[in-house]
Amino acid sequence: MDYGLIAFSSTYAAIYAQKVLKPVAPVQVMPVLREISASCGIALRVEPAHWGAARAALAACELAPGEYAFYAVSSDPPALRVRPVGAQEP
Amino acid sequence: MSQQIDARGKACPIPVVLARGAISQGESAFTVRVDNPTAVENLKRLADNQGYTAQVQGGEEDFQVDFRRSGAPAADAPAAPQAPAAGAWTLLVGRDIVGDGSRELGSNLMQMFFYTLTQSDNPPATVIFVNGGVKLPTLDPQIPAHLQALLAGGCRVLVCGTCLNYYQLTDKLQAGTVSNMYDIVSALEEAGKVVSL
Repeated sequence: MDYGLIAFSSTYAAIYAQKVLKPVAPVQVMPVLREISASCGIALRVEPAHWGAARAALAACELAPGEYAFYAVSSDPPALRVRPVGAQEP
Repeated sequence: MSQQIDARGKACPIPVVLARGAISQGESAFTVRVDNPTAVENLKRLADNQGYTAQVQGGEEDFQVDFRRSGAPAADAPAAPQAPAAGAWTLLVGRDIVGDGSRELGSNLMQMFFYTLTQSDNPPATVIFVNGGVKLPTLDPQIPAHLQALLAGGCRVLVCGTCLNYYQLTDKLQAGTVSNMYDIVSALEEAGKVVSL
């Protein structure tokens, strides 16, 4: 995995998650990759070193598990590989 | 003795205007005294563009910038206008959010915009920040890193010095070059296309 990506069910959830993650893990705001969704949306990029902390913080916050999803992203476009990461998966 | 121009206490872009005046009079050597580092940088850039060398002496609030003609022709001497490179475009950013409405959403959109720009096959040749846009290369937690990536790819980033001064952000610039309206207007004139945010 080159970096982790968190996608959200709503813009509000994405903005709320930024506030949750700010003291926990550095994130970059980026568009949801076309490989994940064709619709416009806010995603958060998390570097591998902060992946675990970011996931733990979201699991402990008020967002329901269905309001966000984790993806592992490898390589650069056009050879981009995006793999959903399950809740129990490290 | 070469001409001495005392531009201390004069706001941007007056020192550059005075130096341009000396150049247009055909002075091959002259000295401009200014009282701040931004004016020094603007004068050095003017010298580069006009075929002069610039030696800087002094410091703190009294800099002497010695101009010497280096033999190269003046960059803005009358000449046939140059056609912009095919596909070259300039991005003009005059605010720190995208669109009207929510500042929170607009700030996210601006960060996403610059993130995506770094992935582009056709990034802008020049990015210009004016007015509230100068908050992006200074205060934003994410965009300065994107600008560094664009700079590494050959993009030019110009940040309005007057605007940095107005918002008291001059010492917080993290990416790009403190610039003046001459450079900004030149960049816009040279652009094949200007996109304004």
